[in-house]
Amino acid sequence: MNRGGGNSRKRPPPSNTPPPVKHRATANSTPSPAIGTLEDDFMVEEDVFLDEALLYGDEDEESLILRDIEERESRSSAWARPPLSPAYLSNSQIFQQLEIDSIISESHKELLPASSGQAPIIRMFGVTKEGNSVCCFVHGFEPYFYIACPPGMGPDDISNFHQTLEGRMRESNKNAKVPKFVRRIEMVQKRSIMYYQQQKSQTFLKITVALPTMVASCRGILDRGLQIDGLGMKSFQTYESNILFVLRFMVDCDIVGGNWIEVPTGKYKKNARTLSYCQLEFHCLYSDLISHAAEGEYSKMAPFRVLSFDIECAGRKGHFPEAKHDPVIQIANLVTLQGEDHPFVRNVMTLKSCAPIVGVDVMSFETEREVLLAWRVLFLPPIVFHFYMCNTFSLSDLIRDVDPDIIIGYNICKFDLPYLIERAATLGIDEFPLLGRVKNSRVRVRDSTFSSRQQGIRESKETTIEGRFQFDLIQAIHRDHKLSSYSLNSVSAHFLSEQKEDVHHSIITDLQNGNAETRRRLAVYCLKDAYLPQRLLDKLMFIYNYVEMARVTGVPISFLLARGQSIKVLSQLLRKAKQRNMVLPNAKQSGSEQGTYEGATVLEARTGFYEKPIATLDFASLYPSIMMAYNLCYCTLVTPEDVRKLNLLPEHVTKTPSGETFVKQSLQKGILPEILEELLTARKRAKADLKEAKDPLEKAVLDGRQLALKISANSVYGFTGATIGQLPCLEISSSVTSYGREMIEQTKKLVEDKFTTLGGYEHNAEVIYGDTDSVMVQFGVPDVETAMTLGREAAEHISGTFIKPIKLEFEKVYFPYLLINKKRYAGLLWTNPQKFDKMDTKGIETVRRDNCLLVKNLVTESLNKILIDRDVPGAAEFVKKTISDLLMNRIDLSLLVITKGLTKAGDDYEVKSAHGELAERMRKRDAATAPNVGDRVPYVIIKAAKGAKAYERSEDPIYVLQNNIPIDPNYYLENQISKPLLRIFEPVLKNASKELLHGSHTRSISITTPSNSGIMKFAKKQLSCVGCKVPISNGTLCASCKGREAELYCKNVSHVADLEEVFGRLWTQCQECQGSLHQDVLCTSRDCPIFYRRMKAQKDMAVARQQLDRWSF
Amino acid sequence: MEIDSEKIHERKQSEYNYLDERFEIHKEMYRGQQYSQIYFARLHLMRTLLYSLAPTWKPHLPVCKVLGLEEGKDCIIVGTLFKHMKLKPCVLDEYSKERSVTPLVKPHNFMHPDDNLILEDESGRVKLGGSALSPAIYVTGVVVALHGKETSAGEFFVEDVLEAGLPPQIERPIDLQEDKYVVLLSGLCIGSKSANPLQFQLLVDHITGHLGDEEEQGLAAQIVHVVIAGNSVEFPRKLINGQNLASKDQSTLYEPIKELDIMLNQIAAGVSVDIMPGLNDPANFALPQQPLNRCLFPGSAPYNTFRSCTNPHSFDVDNIRFLGTSGQNIDDLDKYSEAESKLDFVERTLRWRHLAPTAPNTLGCYPFTDRDPFLIETCPHVYFVGNQDKYDNRLVKGSEGQLVRLICIPKFCETGIAVAVNIKNLECHTLSFSTQVRI
Repeated sequence: MNRGGGNSRKRPPPSNTPPPVKHRATANSTPSPAIGTLEDDFMVEEDVFLDEALLYGDEDEESLILRDIEERESRSSAWARPPLSPAYLSNSQIFQQLEIDSIISESHKELLPASSGQAPIIRMFGVTKEGNSVCCFVHGFEPYFYIACPPGMGPDDISNFHQTLEGRMRESNKNAKVPKFVRRIEMVQKRSIMYYQQQKSQTFLKITVALPTMVASCRGILDRGLQIDGLGMKSFQTYESNILFVLRFMVDCDIVGGNWIEVPTGKYKKNARTLSYCQLEFHCLYSDLISHAAEGEYSKMAPFRVLSFDIECAGRKGHFPEAKHDPVIQIANLVTLQGEDHPFVRNVMTLKSCAPIVGVDVMSFETEREVLLAWRVLFLPPIVFHFYMCNTFSLSDLIRDVDPDIIIGYNICKFDLPYLIERAATLGIDEFPLLGRVKNSRVRVRDSTFSSRQQGIRESKETTIEGRFQFDLIQAIHRDHKLSSYSLNSVSAHFLSEQKEDVHHSIITDLQNGNAETRRRLAVYCLKDAYLPQRLLDKLMFIYNYVEMARVTGVPISFLLARGQSIKVLSQLLRKAKQRNMVLPNAKQSGSEQGTYEGATVLEARTGFYEKPIATLDFASLYPSIMMAYNLCYCTLVTPEDVRKLNLLPEHVTKTPSGETFVKQSLQKGILPEILEELLTARKRAKADLKEAKDPLEKAVLDGRQLALKISANSVYGFTGATIGQLPCLEISSSVTSYGREMIEQTKKLVEDKFTTLGGYEHNAEVIYGDTDSVMVQFGVPDVETAMTLGREAAEHISGTFIKPIKLEFEKVYFPYLLINKKRYAGLLWTNPQKFDKMDTKGIETVRRDNCLLVKNLVTESLNKILIDRDVPGAAEFVKKTISDLLMNRIDLSLLVITKGLTKAGDDYEVKSAHGELAERMRKRDAATAPNVGDRVPYVIIKAAKGAKAYERSEDPIYVLQNNIPIDPNYYLENQISKPLLRIFEPVLKNASKELLHGSHTRSISITTPSNSGIMKFAKKQLSCVGCKVPISNGTLCASCKGREAELYCKNVSHVADLEEVFGRLWTQCQECQGSLHQDVLCTSRDCPIFYRRMKAQKDMAVARQQLDRWSF
Repeated sequence: MEIDSEKIHERKQSEYNYLDERFEIHKEMYRGQQYSQIYFARLHLMRTLLYSLAPTWKPHLPVCKVLGLEEGKDCIIVGTLFKHMKLKPCVLDEYSKERSVTPLVKPHNFMHPDDNLILEDESGRVKLGGSALSPAIYVTGVVVALHGKETSAGEFFVEDVLEAGLPPQIERPIDLQEDKYVVLLSGLCIGSKSANPLQFQLLVDHITGHLGDEEEQGLAAQIVHVVIAGNSVEFPRKLINGQNLASKDQSTLYEPIKELDIMLNQIAAGVSVDIMPGLNDPANFALPQQPLNRCLFPGSAPYNTFRSCTNPHSFDVDNIRFLGTSGQNIDDLDKYSEAESKLDFVERTLRWRHLAPTAPNTLGCYPFTDRDPFLIETCPHVYFVGNQDKYDNRLVKGSEGQLVRLICIPKFCETGIAVAVNIKNLECHTLSFSTQVRI
């Protein structure tokens, strides 16, 4: 936008001046005449638009104006969604839903003439295959749950019970505006999922209530007990009373997350007064919905609009930006259509002028308020603004609404979105939080905590933007990948193999306060940060994988990030149970008192270095297979009393190694085994289709599906074992692990019995290690190929002894193999006898984040030398050389940097920590660049007075470089390097410790003299001989070194040459990363491995050149 | 030695003019400056030049800056090229997690079909499309003018390219009557395994007139100047690792230099000689390489006929302008672009008016702040490049009558070839020496 134009954007005079013509913007709406001052308008604004009561009000002036403008809006803009086809009202409406939520509102009079008052309404937001946005209101679905019918209660007692319950409900919900709390109570025939039961069904009462929130209060009443005439005080076990309303709806209507929904012609109504900003909006009854399974045409994805954005704030020196004080200065946005490679909208909104950027629309504004409002217009048509903006700067001329379906970014949930909302509140821009698709609904931020057994407790903020799905890449990557750091820089280095330029937030303010050029610099940086999440999303196929996961497990897509694993299993369980006419009891939240059970076995590791091939036998999806093979389920579990009472024949039951009894398939097939079977067959099918598929997009969908199916199958076991879960059943989970243990033991025994010299084999096989679902066998043969043959034979032989579908598979051979201890090993992995695939390590310090890079490099290189080159002496030599380099102070400083996150201010740490103390010290030196809470603090350990505590010896690496402060090699040797190294070397090298850590290579030590220490203030600098350091009065060499000029000069100049080479490579690399040759590198990314090297190269270069200049005689 | 006093040849005289000031670094220091400034200086000078050419090239077209582009509108833009290369080695690779199973084979060339060009000026970049500009030919750092238009995808579709072309040349003196030769050689590699001391001795003897019959001596007398274009010694860098040297190693380090000094001494006694540093010499790494220190040549340094020069090196002999390098600039182009012969690279640098466009991007260079010494402002008559695999030469004519002899000087230690240029007519021929040592 406004490429060729001037840099500073002035407001046009408040007259009827036509807006400046901008290419690429559609300039077709004429600005209305000015009404008054800014503040006056604002007041009008507030009165007219922000009254929430208007939501269901009558047709008023506002909406007339809105319609008027809406009609005048040009749809030809490149940004806007495609127009609705004229025939849309005569067709069925088919769309892919992305978000489902529910609201409470007046019930629809046309669709439900019989009911009145408030009722829950389901909203589905989605996109048609043409790319039109859809909002579908579903009416008539009511919340309900079950209770077991008390014995002695007949159909006649129901109305009495109904009245009692209604009375109690009225007492506890005094404010509700519904005519009737408990809508209906019906008698139904159902069965509880818990325990094996011989009778087919029991009587249950289905209680339908008016609003979803009433389920919980009604459950509370029933839990506590109710006085019923004729039956006395009774409390009830409720069933399916803790199911989210939306999930309930999806289960009952057979809708899964992200699938295609059809509403047939004539079954939907379009209201004159729309409630949302979607192109298509209609109302229908839940019973008229058609849900399409994700097959064929319906497995595709609609062209969703994905907005990726990033904001920059101008923080004050020494503080992390706070929304209360610090302005938002830039917002960069990229919008991509799902399935396309390049964003079709690229823009950046800046505060104050900004020089143009090729291919990007730069929109500059004079006030922060306009920046925020401009961003808001991305979401919604600029209707509400028309009033307000017309006399300042006609925003509606500039931007079309993009109306994104999915909002992505990096850490947007915790930072960007809440910041924008809070900032707008601080500035008093009341209309800013109207970002959702529903008219007049405001975005609110609330703190949320998310706790899951898998991930621990995470605190975050929840910003709900109605009708738009937020996908924060940091959350997704956190969930799916184990990394040493989750900064955008290291994530992009990991997945895209690119370093990201990082501008420190203290510099951001300086750039903002510069001129149009420096702000452009910042804008480019901001755009890059907005583009990276989009690239990560594409690279990691998140949209495909998450939609497929939602389809497989049947939960809305937004649940996948916001909730744990168990809701996914629960959703599947509910669907299956519904088919079987079963109901799930509401688990009492009994906390952790249910105790734990024995976990998986790890066979004792026979540690050592194995130079013969080790075959690995793996159980393919062990836990799911066990559950299927032994029919383990809630509904097949026999209670101990029933075991005695029911007189089940031994051939009909299985007694598990943990002592539980389950009936076999012949009596009752379990639901869990059925779910698992379906998941695993579906996975097989998906994998087969994947092989057939040609189209890359189809492949992406199928691969996402098979992955989702695998993860889902594995999470079923966890669901039964989650003690604070939805429906824990430790009988099942402990049985599963006990079978697992038994199988590992059995495999070990079978292998060692069969493969013996007595049995006709060349060597005795030996099981050296066994993990949860794999067993490592040394067959004793020297070559990989024979080991593979034997491995296959063993797998087949042993699989035969297990009940189907438990299967032992042979996949890989390790050769050589270094077994350090339980859960720690390294080896070369072979899947074919010709060439090894890769080096596989587990549990070895290669990625731990509180180690310095030196450790990682040492360990990796040593393993390479030991395993790939088979050169143990070489590895030892390498280690010795590195240790000697460390002691001689020749190690690249960036390898020694340790990084820790600063979680609270220095004084708040109870125990003094190295990084906390350092942050305090740095604050005293220079508050502007000192790390703040939330930053990661890099430090090195320096040499200090004897007896100084470790935390007193931490220092900022840059400070160390600048002042020649000596590092403490012994700290690194003892606390960082020695343990990991000894672990690796002990199995392969005798006297490893003595050899590596105390050899002759540790004798000479070199320590730099700090330039800032106290004693140096008294030192006088004097010229010394380059050759022997003898003080001289002038010249370069002392008398006795004369004659060695050539040699000494060569040494000196070659040092300079090396430095020059490094200097050039480092600085040009940084130019490359920042993407500009003509501008200085600003990046201060301390995550970047070459940051300190670059600083050091610059400093060393200056010193070395000076030294060299002494030779110019 | 007996002297046949039939005829005494007198060595021809010539006027020598030293022009290396621009390549010398005296006051400039490393003060934290970065490489952006040298690009800026280069762009600034080249743009002024290209702007002045634009009206004659495409008179009807407007000249824009990158940020002034408008979609679909034909215009001319001037900027620095940046080549995005997939296979370009990167210092960050050292930190990559996985060591590949197959050992890294260093390709001599990092080209890839996906490479693409970007044009940049001080305010922005734009990706270049179209087939008029081949990514195989151009490299990062070249300044060109492009005719084309911006497409809807934000790319600049290139229709035509304008390079700066040969710079203006000082007039070649027409009154040259005599044959006078300048001998160019490179890659002596004294101290390496492939170096043959006898071969070099023969060359020295030839130059100094101690070899051959009268006719040959007559030829030798016409040699007025000798240039050694880099890599004179093979310098055992391994020995230098920050440790103090054992006295045995001290001598191994010094031995080749001492030998070179002795030979130079012989040449300098008879004819003026310039020695340029090369990649393997005991000199700094970054271009422009500074003269080899005189303390390395205690024997030859006192002669006023001995000059230790920079690399690149420029001088006049009888008003014939020479310009040359020890080969790093061309070797680097060979890694990052393609051409049929090495001379094509040499010719390209001349047409781009830049000795080393890939500096500082892939070729080490000093971070100059206010100038770019590698710009070729005046067209030389002889443009030589040392340390190439084979001897080659070509005469290039410019549009304004410029005449340049381009020469690839082979490595002497491998080929035994030195090149003699006749300054009268810019013709050149080789001096080839071979020995067979019987043991």
